[in-house]
Amino acid sequence: MKAKTIISIALAAAMAATSIISVSAGTIELTPDNNSGNTEVKAHISGAPTPGDVSYIITIPDVVDFGELTQPAENTDSFKDVPFTVKLTELSGTSFDPDAQQISVYVKDQNATTDDSEFYIANKTNPSIKLGYEVFRSSTPSMDNKVSADSFKTAGYFYTSFTVKDEFLDGTLRLNQNQLYGRDLADIVGEYSGYMVFTSFIENQTQP
Amino acid sequence: MENNKSKKKVVVIAVIIAAVILICAVGVLIFSGVFPPKLDTGHKGVVGVVTDNWDTGLKEESSEAKPGTRIPGYSTAEMKEGDTTLSLSIGNPKANTVGFFATLKLQNGDVLYESELLKPGQGLTEIPLTHTLSKGTYNATVVYKCVLLDEENTPLNAAESGFKLIVN
Repeated sequence: MKAKTIISIALAAAMAATSIISVSAGTIELTPDNNSGNTEVKAHISGAPTPGDVSYIITIPDVVDFGELTQPAENTDSFKDVPFTVKLTELSGTSFDPDAQQISVYVKDQNATTDDSEFYIANKTNPSIKLGYEVFRSSTPSMDNKVSADSFKTAGYFYTSFTVKDEFLDGTLRLNQNQLYGRDLADIVGEYSGYMVFTSFIENQTQP
Repeated sequence: MENNKSKKKVVVIAVIIAAVILICAVGVLIFSGVFPPKLDTGHKGVVGVVTDNWDTGLKEESSEAKPGTRIPGYSTAEMKEGDTTLSLSIGNPKANTVGFFATLKLQNGDVLYESELLKPGQGLTEIPLTHTLSKGTYNATVVYKCVLLDEENTPLNAAESGFKLIVN
């Protein structure tokens, strides 16, 4: 009698285990009486934009290298210019309206704040020694195309906007070596580095 | 006496059969992912599945190395209130020669995700968030800190891709 009871328990356990496995398969049968299920259905129509997908790619300079700087002999401007390019390398045609929207690109120094939004490279050994430089929206720098001529925003200074794939803008970084004039080279000698932050986002085109 | 021994044998066999069936059932459940194993996170208490074959999804991407660093940009991303993952394609395009450390954050500085080093071709599409968000539309940013692929991960210029994060 006991044996029969225990065998019954064993069989019940086996059936219970089997039913657990069946539920874990997650199949929900929809019938006319049961036409709802707690199953999320996802679909994507080919060609339509999907939130979270990459919409565009911009190409920015890896690094900005002014090379070797020279202390000028006289107290006059001594510019060292470095060209750079920002380009809209890829663009999804389905998630962007080129007639109404633009991809705006802003630029700032990595340590920029509203109080000090200048661009700097700093001495790696003594970061308190800094050299300032300017960013221009052209390969021929002038006061008209200096980014800091515009107002500074959280994203930085406006650099350019794109609406078409492969659009690009050549710019220039300019360091005036005149900053080195009259300074003791023993104090300022060494390697300098600084980093730029390029911020991009899609926004509506501004009305003229 | 003989009868008692036989009954005991039957009981032992029945218990063994039941135990084996239960162990098999639990094994199947674990294998099928009902009880997933815990993974070591290391980053903000969340972990994502980083693949080695991430691509931007844009047609004309080439893996040919070109000057400059290619940075992905976004229009929008969506999630539901209560979700702790976000469908967003964060990664390092194959054509790059530098590494990325990616951070997903809101405009108020709230960090939702920080990646480990992403080498070219590495990325993820389901982002595990540090916490969920309430319904609303947020200004979000993926910060891409670019580094050399050397031992020190020497910093390079950085980029930020802004987009609207919609929580339904």
